[in-house]
Amino acid sequence: RGLASGTDGESRLARLLREKFPRASTIKVVDISGGCGDMYEIHVESEEFREKRPVQQHRMVTQALSEEIKHMHGLRIFTSAPKG
Amino acid sequence: MRAALRAAWRIGTGAALRGHAGRPLSQAAGDGGGAEGGGGSGSREAVERLVREHPVVVFMKGSPAQPLCGFSNAVVQILRLHGVEDYRAHDVLQDPDLRQGIKNYSNWPTIPQVYLNGEFVGGCDILLQMHQNGDLVEELKKLGIRSALLDAEKDQEKK
Repeated sequence: RGLASGTDGESRLARLLREKFPRASTIKVVDISGGCGDMYEIHVESEEFREKRPVQQHRMVTQALSEEIKHMHGLRIFTSAPKG
Repeated sequence: MRAALRAAWRIGTGAALRGHAGRPLSQAAGDGGGAEGGGGSGSREAVERLVREHPVVVFMKGSPAQPLCGFSNAVVQILRLHGVEDYRAHDVLQDPDLRQGIKNYSNWPTIPQVYLNGEFVGGCDILLQMHQNGDLVEELKKLGIRSALLDAEKDQEKK
């Protein structure tokens, strides 16, 4: 499925996110750069986001991935707290 | 006290203009955080002035007439949908100091960046979310801007 670099990037980012968001119920990372590894879509659902404004939630993600983001062309972020 | 600070700031600027590595503005003016090029376009002061220039300020790649990035284009299109055509847009591709300075200011790593009433609201994902859940209409209302979508709804109801 796509070039190796894309899949490696997805795994690496997902692993990083699992470390930074230990209470996450869902983490999904998708390479949307056609496998070039420089643009990603990031989905994180976690209790850690509850009661936080979207921009605060997104900032938690950008700070967790600050080093990685320096090498990215762009990224999309989708965050939420678990329902209920 | 204030006169001393003003004098110190002038010295700082002068040193920067003379090309000294010298005392960073942040020490002279007493603000926290790293100084950017001695009062240049990426400095905290310069960015602060820009974000307060207008109720709606966007830092993007390209211009509203010609966005140069899909995410920046998305912001322009969303604002257009709401009838917001009068806003300040800054093309960071034209100014590397501003491009870095705005990221430092908001502690946010990407462009575009949307500021409403001087406050950082988010990038294109957040603006899209706000558009979809109705928050953007509310935020615009707080700025005294009536979203065009409200009028569009009214037309629908009349039919």
